[in-house]
Amino acid sequence: MLYKKIFVNHWANLMPLFLVAMVYSCEENILPLEGSIEDLTLPEANFDFSESNNDYLTYSFSNLSSSATDFIWDFGDGNTSTENEPEHTFSQEGDFEVSLTASDKLGVESVQTKSISVKEPEGPVIFIPEILEAGFEAGTLEGGAGDGNDAWAIAGANNIGLSTSVVRTGDQAARIYMGAESVAYQELTVTPNADYRITLYYTLASAPAGGHIRLAVLGNTIEDASEAEDAIIASVLGDDQTSTFDYTKLTLLFNPGASDTVAIWLDSNNIAEGRVDDIMIEHVE
Amino acid sequence: MVFIFTAISCSKDFLEPQPTSAVSEEGYFKTDEELESGILNMYDGIQGTNDRSTSSNHSIQYEFYVTEMRTDNTRGKGAVDSDADQAQFVNYNIRATNGIVADYYRSMYNIIYRANVLLDNLGVASDANRARFEGEAKFVRAYAYFNLVRLYGDVPLVDKVIAPLDTEISYTRIESSIIYDFIEEDLLSAVANLGDGYKNRASKAAAEALLAKVYLTIGEYSQAQTLCESIMKPARGFSLESNFKDVFYNEGNDEVIFAVGYEPDLIKDSQGFSSEWLNAVGYTAGVNYVTKEMRDAFDQYGGDRTLYSIRQDVIQPSEYQVAKYIPNGDENLGIAPIASDPRLAGNDWIVLRYADVLLMHVEAILAGAEATTSSNAIASFQEVRNRAGITTTVATITKEDLLNERRVELAFENQRFFDLLRLGEAQNVLSAYATENGYNFTSTTLLLPIPSSEINLSKGLLEQNPGY
Repeated sequence: MLYKKIFVNHWANLMPLFLVAMVYSCEENILPLEGSIEDLTLPEANFDFSESNNDYLTYSFSNLSSSATDFIWDFGDGNTSTENEPEHTFSQEGDFEVSLTASDKLGVESVQTKSISVKEPEGPVIFIPEILEAGFEAGTLEGGAGDGNDAWAIAGANNIGLSTSVVRTGDQAARIYMGAESVAYQELTVTPNADYRITLYYTLASAPAGGHIRLAVLGNTIEDASEAEDAIIASVLGDDQTSTFDYTKLTLLFNPGASDTVAIWLDSNNIAEGRVDDIMIEHVE
Repeated sequence: MVFIFTAISCSKDFLEPQPTSAVSEEGYFKTDEELESGILNMYDGIQGTNDRSTSSNHSIQYEFYVTEMRTDNTRGKGAVDSDADQAQFVNYNIRATNGIVADYYRSMYNIIYRANVLLDNLGVASDANRARFEGEAKFVRAYAYFNLVRLYGDVPLVDKVIAPLDTEISYTRIESSIIYDFIEEDLLSAVANLGDGYKNRASKAAAEALLAKVYLTIGEYSQAQTLCESIMKPARGFSLESNFKDVFYNEGNDEVIFAVGYEPDLIKDSQGFSSEWLNAVGYTAGVNYVTKEMRDAFDQYGGDRTLYSIRQDVIQPSEYQVAKYIPNGDENLGIAPIASDPRLAGNDWIVLRYADVLLMHVEAILAGAEATTSSNAIASFQEVRNRAGITTTVATITKEDLLNERRVELAFENQRFFDLLRLGEAQNVLSAYATENGYNFTSTTLLLPIPSSEINLSKGLLEQNPGY
């Protein structure tokens, strides 16, 4: 009994003191509680984002913040999220300022803002090169220049000839002389790893037998005709001698690999006289 | 003395070099022969120690924990919410105090140290051998940094032998892009200085293949393609083994470009991971077990590869094990025991092989796009599938197709984690997998923590990765 009374009195005495202390700390709010230490690891907001595989409007966000417990994402399009790592689908293309506010339980905040450019990805653009003097016509180079075979020359070999007889289209065709050992060479810019088809038309005199022309693609450019053989990445022979005057179609598929420059190469085995006309290149889907 | 022992006991290119701890470095490397033993010492670092000591460097013997077990390919058999070091990789609750994380970090820097010792002593090499020594050391150093930068992010860049008190270099994290520049420089030097021939040591092809992977990682696709095509030239002599099993059970075959060699039954030169992947044959109850998701992937895309990739656990038929590096044989599969003690396994660890190069070739042509129809890419892709008995041709290869193909072809070869990262699918794939299985994935788990032991030693100089 006595003990209890003393106890009660004790608290009654202490009560005013306690209240004073409380009021004091509320007003000033700077004196740390006894034994507490300063928070040295403040929240730091940071994030990354990546476009979804199948939908260019959808992004997933990775939260790289440190020392934070609560997150507010603002996607810059009026939508927000409090998830740790949300996924968000934008309604349309555009530039969005996405911000992440990271905070801890002491209410300290950190904000990181990044801009996302939402845009429908373009399909791969395959470059289709223009073949100069493709029909071996005169005056088709820049400024109306050229005889019809000027874009086809290479050092170390005779330039392919021209003819106005036995022509497929226009006024001229390339002429392959018997025994002339003439060649045609032209560099082309291409898209690496794209599949291309080269088409040309040729005809060979019906005699002597055993003649052929060769259409080839060189995987790299060369300085001298002697380097051609080693550079061939695709080739095809045209050996149709059934008619001296009727043209035959010849096609060659090639893929340039990692290279963005190739060259067309044309030669023959110098047995039969021939013509080549209307070379074209296209992309194969 | 040690050297003579080595020559007699080993059939491999390298095994036990002279111990470095007992020899002071100054004045150690005086001749080509001593440098050669320094070279072997680097590979010994990659081999790692086959024991259970927590202070040993287990190097790539523990690599599956920090790579494959963090993917949807494999898991442990323990409780989903276990806090054991091994289980942390499975449920993505990796802690900075994880001993395996520290082991791998320490191991890679130890390998880098061994390479730096050699590079600092190149002056004594003969003119005939200097280029090769330099090439091998730089390959090994780049290999270790490539592992570090992909797993830990920004890491300290130690490019020479440093004193223990040189804490500024040891504890300053350098931006990943600079680490990648350094790796590229080392590998270009290795490509220029090395020839082909070795499979358990660095070679020109190994340096090219590793550099191709580095280029794919940093988005230099054209350069990666050129390197792959260099290795693919028939004159280089690499090709797919016609039987998938022979890739793993006929060591030194034409498909292998770089493998870490192990010798059975020798404590110092054997490996322990093969036994850990079995049911209580190693020291664990069995880790790196095949997930259900992985078995589904094999059902869909595996073809002939499945038989020699996964097998049912005879003791626990509901569970499936890795079948690529079985140390104690399997009569049904026609695999002979490789070691008399499975814990001292001799199965080599393949780091780079030709199928990987072919699929890297596809990835280079894909060049970050969602799909490709290039005939060049399809040819390489089809070559890998044909070997697996999947001969139906495709007209288009999507990124997903490539990831699936790599997943089954290179299953349990510690590639999946890096593949997902490189192709930008890690967060998507692993968060879905984690949700399905009750694991706690967040994107910050994609980088391992810097080991807390290192941070403590640095007295706060080393900064931790976010999320730890």
